[in-house]
Amino acid sequence: MSLRAAIAIAAGLSFVGVAFAAEDERASQFEKHVRPLLLERCAECHSDGAAESELAVDSLAGLMKGGTRGPAIVPGQPEASLLMHAVRHSEATLQMPPKTKLATEEIERLARWIADGAYWPGEEASAAGGPAAADTASAISEEARNFWAFRPPIAPAPPEVADVAWVQSPIDRFVLAKLEQAGLRPAPPADRRTLLRRATFELTGLPPTPEEVEAFLADDSPDAFERAVDRLLASPAYGERWGRHWLDVARYADTNGLDENIVYGNAWRYRDYVIRSFDDDTPFDQFLREQIAGDLIFDPTDDGADAFDPVIATGFLSIGSKMLAEDDPVKLQMDIVDEQIDTVGRAFLGLTLGCARCHDHKFDPISAADYYALAGIFKSAQTMDKLTVVAEWHERELASPEQISARDAANANLAQVREKIAALEKSTEGTEESRAAELATLRTEERKLAAEIPVIASAMSVVDAAPADAAIHYRGSHLTLGPVVPRGFPVVLRSETSPKIESGSGRRELADWLASPTNPLTARVIANRLWTWHFGEGIVRSPDNFGKLGDRPTHPELLDWLATELVADGWRLKNLHRKILLSSTWQMSVLGDPHAEVADPENLLFHRRERRRLDIEAMRDGMLAISGELDRTIGGKTLNAENRKYLDGSPAFRAGLYDTRRRSVYLAIVRSGLYDAFSAFDFADPSALTGKRDTTVVAPQALFAMNSDFVAKRSESLAGMLLEKFSDDAARVDRLYRLVYGRPAEPQQTERALAYLDQYQVRWREAKPEEADQAERRAWKSLCRATLAANEYVYLD
Amino acid sequence: MRRDPFASARVTRRAAPISRRAALGNIAAGFGSVALAGLMSQPAFGGPLSPKPTHFPAKAKRVIFLFMHGGPSTVDLFDHKPQLDRDTGKPLPFPKPRVVSSATGELLASPWKFAQHGQSGAWVSELLPEVAKIVDELCIIRSMNGSNSRHGAAMLELQTGSDTFVRPSMGSWITYGLGSESEDLPGFVTFCPSQSHGGANLYGSAFLPADYQGTAIGNSSVSSKEARIPFVENADGLPRDLQRMELDLLQELNRERLAEVGSDDSLEARINSFELAFRMQAAAPELQDVSGETAETLSAYGLDNSETEGFGRQCLMARRFIERGVRFVQCSHGYWDSHGNLRAEHAKLANQVDKPIAALIKDLKQRGLLDETLVLWGGEFGRTPVAQGGDGRDHNPHGYTMWMAGGGSRPGTLYGQTDEYGYYAVEDKVHLHDLHATMLHLLGLDHTKLTYRFAGRDFRLTDVYGEVISGIVKS
Repeated sequence: MSLRAAIAIAAGLSFVGVAFAAEDERASQFEKHVRPLLLERCAECHSDGAAESELAVDSLAGLMKGGTRGPAIVPGQPEASLLMHAVRHSEATLQMPPKTKLATEEIERLARWIADGAYWPGEEASAAGGPAAADTASAISEEARNFWAFRPPIAPAPPEVADVAWVQSPIDRFVLAKLEQAGLRPAPPADRRTLLRRATFELTGLPPTPEEVEAFLADDSPDAFERAVDRLLASPAYGERWGRHWLDVARYADTNGLDENIVYGNAWRYRDYVIRSFDDDTPFDQFLREQIAGDLIFDPTDDGADAFDPVIATGFLSIGSKMLAEDDPVKLQMDIVDEQIDTVGRAFLGLTLGCARCHDHKFDPISAADYYALAGIFKSAQTMDKLTVVAEWHERELASPEQISARDAANANLAQVREKIAALEKSTEGTEESRAAELATLRTEERKLAAEIPVIASAMSVVDAAPADAAIHYRGSHLTLGPVVPRGFPVVLRSETSPKIESGSGRRELADWLASPTNPLTARVIANRLWTWHFGEGIVRSPDNFGKLGDRPTHPELLDWLATELVADGWRLKNLHRKILLSSTWQMSVLGDPHAEVADPENLLFHRRERRRLDIEAMRDGMLAISGELDRTIGGKTLNAENRKYLDGSPAFRAGLYDTRRRSVYLAIVRSGLYDAFSAFDFADPSALTGKRDTTVVAPQALFAMNSDFVAKRSESLAGMLLEKFSDDAARVDRLYRLVYGRPAEPQQTERALAYLDQYQVRWREAKPEEADQAERRAWKSLCRATLAANEYVYLD
Repeated sequence: MRRDPFASARVTRRAAPISRRAALGNIAAGFGSVALAGLMSQPAFGGPLSPKPTHFPAKAKRVIFLFMHGGPSTVDLFDHKPQLDRDTGKPLPFPKPRVVSSATGELLASPWKFAQHGQSGAWVSELLPEVAKIVDELCIIRSMNGSNSRHGAAMLELQTGSDTFVRPSMGSWITYGLGSESEDLPGFVTFCPSQSHGGANLYGSAFLPADYQGTAIGNSSVSSKEARIPFVENADGLPRDLQRMELDLLQELNRERLAEVGSDDSLEARINSFELAFRMQAAAPELQDVSGETAETLSAYGLDNSETEGFGRQCLMARRFIERGVRFVQCSHGYWDSHGNLRAEHAKLANQVDKPIAALIKDLKQRGLLDETLVLWGGEFGRTPVAQGGDGRDHNPHGYTMWMAGGGSRPGTLYGQTDEYGYYAVEDKVHLHDLHATMLHLLGLDHTKLTYRFAGRDFRLTDVYGEVISGIVKS
């Protein structure tokens, strides 16, 4: 029985035998004041014929049964009656009548009527009502269950194809079979320069050096490309590149954003954990488990360097943006839970579970009961230490209990000494000299103790709270609760092998269930993400939505093959990268066969590769690498601001944040104030999960190339380096082309560049006679900037 | 066809690369923007920001939002409550909201005198003498209410419709719905926005494409005189002809590449984006240079006075930007959060905006722009009629005043009522969702049809709420 129903019954009982006002008087009051009020001000929308939200106010039974938000009145208890909350307009989410509030006397009369037992002539205030029981086991239709994404992937046999010579990998059979069916030819293979540039940018987010290009071209062994791929996968730049892709999904940021832009001073530990996991090729199922329940699988006896990684990993759950100054703590908690469910659902399952917060999912077989079964799990995890304004998120100290007690003891020692000092300063005992001497000793000791206090790092993390199931929230509001749902997983995805939640929050079981090879979605979703980040488009083109409103896979068997291979390989992503890069499909040119262009203009059949604009990180990091300025330091805290404090928004501070030569993945991600260059170039919105970024072409991007301090500085350094290292202008131009485009300059291109340099110097001297000595350097800087801004650099073929 | 420089081209590659290549051969001969102008006029370049048809005939073409950050006390500006004056010092005779931002005391009379003005007889306090003179242009909504009592959440709700999650801002929705009419400026600009309480989310496009995000010109810690579009000024201060020369080289490199690889919309779009950026970097500073305005105009907006200069310049910029076809302009002023020191703070703040606001309305009217320009004034909430300390008021999202002018709003109107003290809206309540629905209606857009599919559902500015308030729409 729900709490509300219990109240209703208790209320009914307590009124048995209470001497009410004379029946006639009550009837007259009701007919004079209450019935007309209900009829005139409520019944237009809420009567039996046209009951909005299923509430009918034209009978007592109707009011007591209530609508989608539960019973409207509890006779005898105005304060427990939803109707009173609604008419008082004191809750933001439920105000009736919506446009014009009842007069104060009218509200009081209603309250009195309810307090007096809600007398309604001809009706009994029996214990009725209570919301309909949650239909947790609501029948899911065969059709819904048979939706492609809910059927487990079964390793398919790669199909037969006619052109076996084209096939380098089973992947190619799936792609070629479809092309052959359509009577189309795949694009020719890309040339070797293009292949290396593509592989290097895709795997590391950096351009190949001219030396790497030459070495690759000179290597005519059959496994030259394979070795190049292995070299790239082994580079720490791989983790920085692919970790960043995951950080898009994890809506990573270094500040809260939303309402209060408070510093997440330890978020970087999660960022570095992600980068490390990709570099180490941590199996994806383990990576998933750690992010959902790392604190529960953490091994306290492990004393390795990364022992706390599973704890840090749970930062994934905590790192979303939160309304830290929400006056209603219950709403805040449920909003955080919702953000976690939405993120976990889309990140790992490609399901928009968040849609079921207010009502059953309109398109996918996910009920509100499914949602609140998960909500119970997340509500049983403590993300926040304090929910009142300004709310505080939980952090865990990264140390053993012994280290923590040692630190606490050291603090206690220090406090003692300080107490002694304070006492001595007030004291009049002994001589002044003796006190001064003692004070000096104590101060020395104070300094020593203070310096010796061990500093213990902490990380954003979650910890289990008392496990509790959650009630269904009608319309997502915590003010209108329905039945309680046991913690568990969505019915449509449950199977006999799904773990049972016996005790605890259920987070560990959730992690196991998500990471299970029998979960039909997890492996497909990550395999598709990998494909999307390589090709620009996925096999499912909506990488965060595998539901009914998402796209269907263009190559379902290929997706299942990738998913089952991934699981068979022990969830190692690097193996999957290798399989993809060593396919003819991946190695195609961006220039498709003309017939295929006509027949498949959207490239749904993957008949060619897509030309892609570099994202801002690759563009920026590439420029730093080309100018020889890239700082390759890995990891560490990079936002120089105090944890839990408001971020300084001054222009000077902001400019300082981005004046660095570190890789872009290490730049501070400030929600509510993203770096201008990031926001101009479609960087992932750090407040929401992003599986595929937009690639717009807009004028602010051109302004960045033409005018920004960043591009100006890179051009200047590049010009300086060319002028310094080469004595011949033609050699400089050739080096410039090799650095930026990965190819030598053609003769007429060199000629044009040389003519430009001459012309620019003449114009410069005319325009800036006082800086005539700068003419040559400025001309080179200009040439470098134009070269870096050009499409040949910015687009990846 | 007009193009906005912030428009992007989504890449769908067309077939028949051969004929495109031939066309490009011709273009490569011409150098610079003349040839490009022809290229741009091809229908294939209709970008996401090109003007779009409305759902029904629009009354307003554009919006200027005068945002008062912090929550102006509208019981001290527009919502005259004689009963509050009489009962000052007494307790509020009905319950305060369950959720409040901080504890408050007893009723506090407005320290300022009110008088009726204009034909409409609207009450305006002595804090806004200039606005009082144009009161017949205003459609004053005294029954505004929102859902949240904190700055950040309330501002997000005002600007995006949600006090819970990051959602596209109304300027983004409007630009998404209507496109832009500006050739060389962004479609949606916001002057000196706050970096706190939502920051860029307040003018962000969230899941709408980046084409629709607001362009911040400066921020609240930059004077409006110093405010600039990001990267609009060359870091090296290059003379224009030298930069043009560099750009010509760049475009030659780009066209050479295009000829090599065949047709590609995104490569062509990027070529265009550089021309548009080059035009914009000339247009924006011109627009921000007000030296061409008459002395009378500058004085009317208060640019000759250090108190009014900051907001006055924003108001003048707003007029200049909308004259150039910008769809949505926001001006920001603060900080109205007078928990204490209400008398001194509100007097100062009101003085800073009074003259500029009146000047903007009069200037728009005199130029014939007011009819098609919807001006909206207000904060993220109002303030309580009950006191904090002896001289302050708390946040109040339950009943407060905003006003509209022009753009098809009904002039000389007093719409809705709060209770006798000005705490709760009680009559003809207008929720922020209703305000959004009505704004879209005035712009010719049906708020239930302006949707964008994201994460499995169709989102709206008004979510599942909102009602067009016919009483504030000019018939």
